[in-house]
Amino acid sequence: MAVNVHIHTTHRQHTNGLEVVPVEGNTVGECLSHLIRQFPGMEKALFGKKNKLLNVVEVYVTHATAHPNELIKPVKDGDEIHLLVMLAGG
Amino acid sequence: MLTPSERERYDRQVLIGEIGEEGQEKLKRSRVVIAGAGGLGSPIAIYLTAAGIGRIRIIDHDQVALSNLNRQILHWEKDIGNNKVDSARAKLRSLNSTVEIEAIAETITEGNVSRLVDGCNVIVDAMDNFPTRYVLNRCAIEKKIPFFHGAVSGFEGRVLTILPGETACLRCRFRGPVPEVKFPVIGVAPAVIGSIQATEVIKYLLGIGRLLTNRLLIYDGLQAKFSEFKVDRNPTCDHCGSLTSKE
Repeated sequence: MAVNVHIHTTHRQHTNGLEVVPVEGNTVGECLSHLIRQFPGMEKALFGKKNKLLNVVEVYVTHATAHPNELIKPVKDGDEIHLLVMLAGG
Repeated sequence: MLTPSERERYDRQVLIGEIGEEGQEKLKRSRVVIAGAGGLGSPIAIYLTAAGIGRIRIIDHDQVALSNLNRQILHWEKDIGNNKVDSARAKLRSLNSTVEIEAIAETITEGNVSRLVDGCNVIVDAMDNFPTRYVLNRCAIEKKIPFFHGAVSGFEGRVLTILPGETACLRCRFRGPVPEVKFPVIGVAPAVIGSIQATEVIKYLLGIGRLLTNRLLIYDGLQAKFSEFKVDRNPTCDHCGSLTSKE
């Protein structure tokens, strides 16, 4: 499946400034693996120990939350994945 | 009942069909807690005071520092070293002396939060950290008080309105604690987000419009773009999962 991943502003340093990266995969996890193969710096930006998504990262598929169990969520051709970062400031 | 002076003061907003004199009286009878008197708390408090909310309780334990002044527009150079809530109250009283401003210089904790929000119709999140936001979220859920979340970083911000037991809460997407970091921010970001939070509060109190419930609004100031993401209640949420909308 061809899917676009939208990269958060703070992560674009790892994608050569790209805001949207085309990937292939049948699940969110497969899509993120393909993203990391293209841009290895994204691994530390998204994942912590034991390949667990960092708590600060939020995943949305076609503008709807993928929480919980984000990585096994299926995606279909043309879906959009948005990677957001939780904000603490006030 | 509005006084002649209040009729004159609120003339332009009473002209709005969805508000009218009846709506203005509702605002006058309302009691709002604003948790935080910083970057978000400043525009929220200013616009709710200007709009004529009857009573505003503003809570913040901190003192004004020079590094606050790029964004915390309720505080000025002369206020450095003073309690933020006292600085805020002085400005808000000058803006609208008919609004009762209650200033509480305390740290919000699990132990005191119930007392601090007692008697209010809504709680507005203007905090700068997740742990206190979750304390407020849990209290809002337990007391069934609508909770108006906002947060910022850099040029970005987000808003979510939470109706306890009915819509997704702040904790529904929780996966674990997030490390505390010094966040970057420029004042125009909380200006936008705080103004949207204040708009949500006014809409809720008047029962008008469509709230940002189950809709996470993201503002990207650099791209001048708003995006919306659907969020759902999580039945296993440790704050709201056990509530039903009829409770």
